[in-house]
Amino acid sequence: MITSIAWKNVWRNRTRSLTVIAAVTVGVFAGVFAMAAINSSIVQRIDAAVNEELSHIQINHKEFRSSSDLKNVIPEPERVISVLQNIPEVTHIAERIIVRGIASTSAGSTGVEVTGINVEGEEEMFTLKTRLIPGTGSYFGSETRLNSAFIGEKLAKELYIIRYILTEESLGTLKESGVPSSVVEKLKPLEDQRFTTEKKLTEALAGLLSAREAKEYGMMIREAAWSYREGSRIILTFLDADDNQTGAAFRICGIFRTNNDLFEAMSVFVPENELRRLTGLGEGEYHRIIARLADNDLTDRVTPEVKEALPGLEVMHWKEIQTDLAMIADYMNQIYGIFMALILAALAFGIVNTMLMSVLERTRELGMLSAIGMNRRRVFTMIMLESIFLSVVGGFAGMLVSGVVIAITGHTGINLVKYSEGMEAFGYSAHLYPTIGADFFIMLTVLIVITGILSAVYPARKALQLNPVEALRGE
Amino acid sequence: MKDYQLAWRNLWRNRRRTLITAASVFFAVFFALVMRSFQLGTYEKMYRDVIESYTGYLQLQHTDYIDESSLDNGFIIDPELISMIEGDPNVTAVIPKLESFALAAAGSRTQGVMVIGMDPENEMKGLNIINRLVRYRLTPEAVEALKAESLPDRTGKLLDVFVNESFTDEASLISILGIGRPDTSDVLPLFRKHAAFKNGYLTSADSGYAVIGNGLSEYLHAGVGDTIVLMGQGYHGATAAGLYIIKGIVLMPQPEIDNRFVYLTLDDARYLYAAPGMATSAIISVRDTKEGDINMTRNRLGQITGDGLAIRTWKEMNALLLNQMEADNKSGAIMIGILYLVIAFGVFGTVLMMMAERRREFGMLVSIGMQKGKLAKVISMEMFLVGFLGVAAGVAGSLPIVFLGYARPLRFTGEMAKMYEDYGFDPVMPMLLPDTYYLWQVVIVLLILLIAITFSVRKIFKMNVINAVRA
Repeated sequence: MITSIAWKNVWRNRTRSLTVIAAVTVGVFAGVFAMAAINSSIVQRIDAAVNEELSHIQINHKEFRSSSDLKNVIPEPERVISVLQNIPEVTHIAERIIVRGIASTSAGSTGVEVTGINVEGEEEMFTLKTRLIPGTGSYFGSETRLNSAFIGEKLAKELYIIRYILTEESLGTLKESGVPSSVVEKLKPLEDQRFTTEKKLTEALAGLLSAREAKEYGMMIREAAWSYREGSRIILTFLDADDNQTGAAFRICGIFRTNNDLFEAMSVFVPENELRRLTGLGEGEYHRIIARLADNDLTDRVTPEVKEALPGLEVMHWKEIQTDLAMIADYMNQIYGIFMALILAALAFGIVNTMLMSVLERTRELGMLSAIGMNRRRVFTMIMLESIFLSVVGGFAGMLVSGVVIAITGHTGINLVKYSEGMEAFGYSAHLYPTIGADFFIMLTVLIVITGILSAVYPARKALQLNPVEALRGE
Repeated sequence: MKDYQLAWRNLWRNRRRTLITAASVFFAVFFALVMRSFQLGTYEKMYRDVIESYTGYLQLQHTDYIDESSLDNGFIIDPELISMIEGDPNVTAVIPKLESFALAAAGSRTQGVMVIGMDPENEMKGLNIINRLVRYRLTPEAVEALKAESLPDRTGKLLDVFVNESFTDEASLISILGIGRPDTSDVLPLFRKHAAFKNGYLTSADSGYAVIGNGLSEYLHAGVGDTIVLMGQGYHGATAAGLYIIKGIVLMPQPEIDNRFVYLTLDDARYLYAAPGMATSAIISVRDTKEGDINMTRNRLGQITGDGLAIRTWKEMNALLLNQMEADNKSGAIMIGILYLVIAFGVFGTVLMMMAERRREFGMLVSIGMQKGKLAKVISMEMFLVGFLGVAAGVAGSLPIVFLGYARPLRFTGEMAKMYEDYGFDPVMPMLLPDTYYLWQVVIVLLILLIAITFSVRKIFKMNVINAVRA
């Protein structure tokens, strides 16, 4: 009974109630959508970290990660593998050799981590191969299996294997992809010129195009001009097992592109046997064994099992390796909760104001209700319910709208590449596919109801303080 | 009665509503300011750390060095140019620096490193690497010895958490180990006795010595007195190799620098890389460090550098860091934007209610001869005053927190600090003093008010007096 009275009361002043409800709707929608967008970049980052960079669980010699000493190989790797194979949640296992060294070309040199992989054995697990830039080769292509290297785009840029040339063909592609011919015409003077860095090309473009054109089409032009020196070689230099300097030339068989510049700039993958030969490591000696699980949520449960089974080795899951990401992953729900609470607190001011006004203008009515016998608790409940209705109706509308918008944008994606250069350098994608867990909505619903209750306290107290006799006399 | 008096009295006719509306504005402004101050303060500290220990505010470089940071884009130091730069009123020191890549090895452990060659005495005029020397280290032996002494309970327990941790100053030691102010004078001498770390720094006369980053030292398992081998490619492809004794260990800001930092004297670095008389850059330290001063100094110096050389600001040299912070900054700005959106709705809702409630009053006022223009003016003033009240309260409320946070940055202690460090963050949260970001909050609130005022003024002018009086 009280419930239906309260509901009807809400709609007695439609405009006023709708304004508050609209405020809650907009606030909840904006908050949820922002959270979903931020969440998506974190989820994508974790995905990339686990699938492309670290894998779920890594097993190293106890000293290896803190020193990367070539001699710190895993004792009895067969035992490690059999332990992992006996865990049903483990889907893939791979053994690797890892050597730190210098990669150089005639134009530059930089420090890298060279990883020797079992080319055939790891093919299924090596998700990075899907990140291959089309036209740069393949995952350890057929002809020269020996001495080939799979490297990141950032490293290729640092070693000047990638440069920028606008050929007749690339100008044609630009036209096809919708760049106005007036702009393409302006690019003619640059045809067949070589630019060693993206920046030099951008500077040249700035001289020819208007600022607006450069902003609008700069990205497309840079993509079209991107070109790769086929059959490039890099020299990898490192220390072998006897501490002698060694090295060899490797042919680039493919270049991959991820969202993580740091990882791209550091990583070189080469066939394991070649690296074994160069470093003088024995057959069956490995520095690291990585394991992929069926699902990321299993990580926290499976890792202790592996740790227990392999006491003398360093067993780590990705959260222990990439701690900054782990902090974000572990605390993101709390952070979202705090932010939503902040928004709801701001909304509460509006609800309090509305409820207070609604109570004060009903002084006479409330007095009458008490006079004819409605007890104080019922009055309190009625006001409380009105306030909860305001927040819950707005909250649900907001969640509904955001649910729909997240579903749509989660499918089409939001491209922020133009606005955020910094994200990719850090490993976060600028293509967002908003997504958020169902538990977030449950938490949000609780928060919304709490907001309704808290913002009713002050107005409801005001209503209780009314003296029926004076209230009836008023006005 | 003056218009503003009328507006002021009107406000207090419904005290509760005025206060709640002002409170909602206060809430948003206060939160936005405190949050911004923390966020911007953290960036500022990060920038300052990198500038003061690594890049300096300005650098003289070969024009191509910024794109291709290789030794081959180095240049011969011209003493005449250096003294001309030193003659600039805002320049305090010019520090030639030779920086290149090498592979460092100790025993059979190797790591790619940045080798930096500078003249130590000259360097101290502009950078403060010496302040980053590790002063205390909680080695397992130190922890044992400290436990035997009488320590506050909490500190004793925390020692186990921070085993093998290094500290550069007593302030962070005190805060991280949760040493209370009254205990400081008793406890610090114990730490000085047991946990002091023997460390040294380069002098200009040194040859064959290096100062390395704490992270690198841990990685190579090489401490003070140990020898490291540096191998790399010298100028124009010459082979570079040399042996150096570690003289000191510094804790550099940012793990990327700390894990790769090797500091030699300028002469040693030139010899190693077969680049006599050369530098890859010259750090120019300046007196006034405001952005405008930096740019003016850059422009003045740009005119005397001559062909092939350029003056770069710290912003150009740290473009990546700036970009990252910018991306992070945007997410903060979006959150504050949403907060203000919600507040705007709240304010708008209140205005809507107020207009409906006072319709009769307005109708009456106009019918007894008040001009609609004057009425609109009074109402606008009312709203402006409410908004101003909120902003003023927000600014006033945030100022003590911001000044306190600036003077005594919030430092996490104990397990919380450990967690921050494990996650790769400095356990300090400095705040930024009021700056343009304060002005922005005022502008945003003014915009919100402007919309609300426009709406109500239109309502007043469109009001039908007869209907309004009857309402």
